[in-house]
Amino acid sequence: MIVTTQKPLDEILDFISPYSNILIVGCDGCTQPPRGLREAKTLSQLLELGGKLRNKNFNFKTTTTTKQCDYYLTASALKPQMEGMETVLSLACGIGVQTLAELFPEIPVFPAQNTHFMGAEEREEGILEERCAGCGDCILALTGGICPVARCAKGLLNGPCGGSEDGKCEVDPERDCAWALIYEQLKQRGKLQLLDEIRPPKDYQLSGWRVKP
Amino acid sequence: MSEQLAEEKVAVILQEDSCSRCSVCSTLCPYEALKKDTETGKTILDIEKCQVCGLCYSTCPSKAIDVIYYDLDSLTRYLERAKQEYDSDTLVIMCKGSAPDFTGVEGLFGVTKFIPLSVPCVGRIPGEVFFKAILMGIREIYVLACDGDYCRFERGSLVTGRKILAFNLLLEQLGYGKEVITLKRNSLKVKVDTDSCITCGNCVFYCPYDAAKLESPGVVSFDLAACRGCGLCVAVCPAFALDLENWEREHISDLISKLSSEMQTPKILVFRCQWAVFPPLNEESVPNIRYIDLPCASRVDTSHILEAFQKGIDSVLIAACSEEDCKQEKVSGKTQRLIAGLGEKLNQIGLQDRLHFCTVAPRYSEGFNRELEQFSQRIEAIGSKEGE
Repeated sequence: MIVTTQKPLDEILDFISPYSNILIVGCDGCTQPPRGLREAKTLSQLLELGGKLRNKNFNFKTTTTTKQCDYYLTASALKPQMEGMETVLSLACGIGVQTLAELFPEIPVFPAQNTHFMGAEEREEGILEERCAGCGDCILALTGGICPVARCAKGLLNGPCGGSEDGKCEVDPERDCAWALIYEQLKQRGKLQLLDEIRPPKDYQLSGWRVKP
Repeated sequence: MSEQLAEEKVAVILQEDSCSRCSVCSTLCPYEALKKDTETGKTILDIEKCQVCGLCYSTCPSKAIDVIYYDLDSLTRYLERAKQEYDSDTLVIMCKGSAPDFTGVEGLFGVTKFIPLSVPCVGRIPGEVFFKAILMGIREIYVLACDGDYCRFERGSLVTGRKILAFNLLLEQLGYGKEVITLKRNSLKVKVDTDSCITCGNCVFYCPYDAAKLESPGVVSFDLAACRGCGLCVAVCPAFALDLENWEREHISDLISKLSSEMQTPKILVFRCQWAVFPPLNEESVPNIRYIDLPCASRVDTSHILEAFQKGIDSVLIAACSEEDCKQEKVSGKTQRLIAGLGEKLNQIGLQDRLHFCTVAPRYSEGFNRELEQFSQRIEAIGSKEGE
């Protein structure tokens, strides 16, 4: 999923303070928990309360989209709801925000979220970690299904480095050393010979700026 | 801690002098709080294990157990008063665990005018209450217990069933007619609006009973037999696709509006888990405090808390069981984390210190009152949010 966190409410209040009629648009897409109707309603309630303490009254309308990054789905879902709206506040990742901005060029669109990375959630802890850097040249087949590009602090292809200690990374003692994880995984599978080969630097151009699937 | 607890007023007291050592209580106690000492033959109460279900109180043949909630005296006083107030000869006794909302009574029993009596577990009602009620002129008694498997006190519903069977026979022999007491069993269940479901799987992750299952492709199904009606899935559903039967979202919203309109400032709204706080039958009404008793703290929905603030409530207190005491599968801890998340956001807009989550247990009767007093003092000090 694409991982986002909500922006500080003060920042959002600053965005919307010149406007009164605001559409908050959720996204049921890939975040967990989805920033759908509940999040949209919660944000409207918080902003209404925050606005009141700042002597500002807002009129919020809340809605959600199946996948805000999908131009056509979002257009059909939102166009009928835009009447009288002065601005749109998006709960989606940066992609959804840009889709809305393209869709409604005449009105300002604001992000309510900061977008971090593509990752997964440790649900018990409620913590999200990056898992994929979108490099365009996947090497997971060679690394035991653990991505060093995303999960090694240095993105090393021939790890671990000298900063790996007791399976942890020198950058942050709470962070697992991706290469220690890779080593253990390959050892368990009897595939340690995969580490013998020295891998040349990746061609990051393969990530590309556009592709045709 | 132990010193403090030693001074605490406890909810259940075993009078050793009166105890006949018959072992009925230790056999019935679902929590092994009452045990027979093998050496001395005495029955011993371990209050730390006690969940105050009241089964021992209602079944002790020697009256050796005192309980401070819903004892015979307070129940009798309540009935005398309520009979006048409701002007009815029908009594409905309900377990808060199965149907806390009296608006559902009509559908369940087909009665519109009745004296309501709501208690945490009907198993705690001493037999004398039924007879006293009949002597007062009550002609029909309806009892709503939880489905046996869902009884929060394991044996409360079962014991009630047996008692009622025996009392009905007795009452018939005495000439009061057949089936004077009607028993019905019920349990709270989730309601699913499949059209609104976005199959995110949040309910599947949160459900402690594996009642929610994500069946590919993209279909969430609920096994209602496994659902225990805690309401946690309802509180975390991002699409508002779930609701709790008899505790519908709109019903709670209406209640918040009603309560807020009758309160003085600074308005304090308390969401109480029914198993964490046992309110007295004659709870005094403080002009600036109102309560919403929920079947479990996990039914506290963050959107309801925000709604309360929007409707003019100045502060919200949530009283839940500790994870160890939780009558559901440790859902109170998950609720606490959800509330803490909301608290952080309230801090950002200047409503800090107006939301508080506390864990209390009915075994120490003053625990909740102390929390409420401290919270009230804090709110009195910072005043109404409207006046700032």
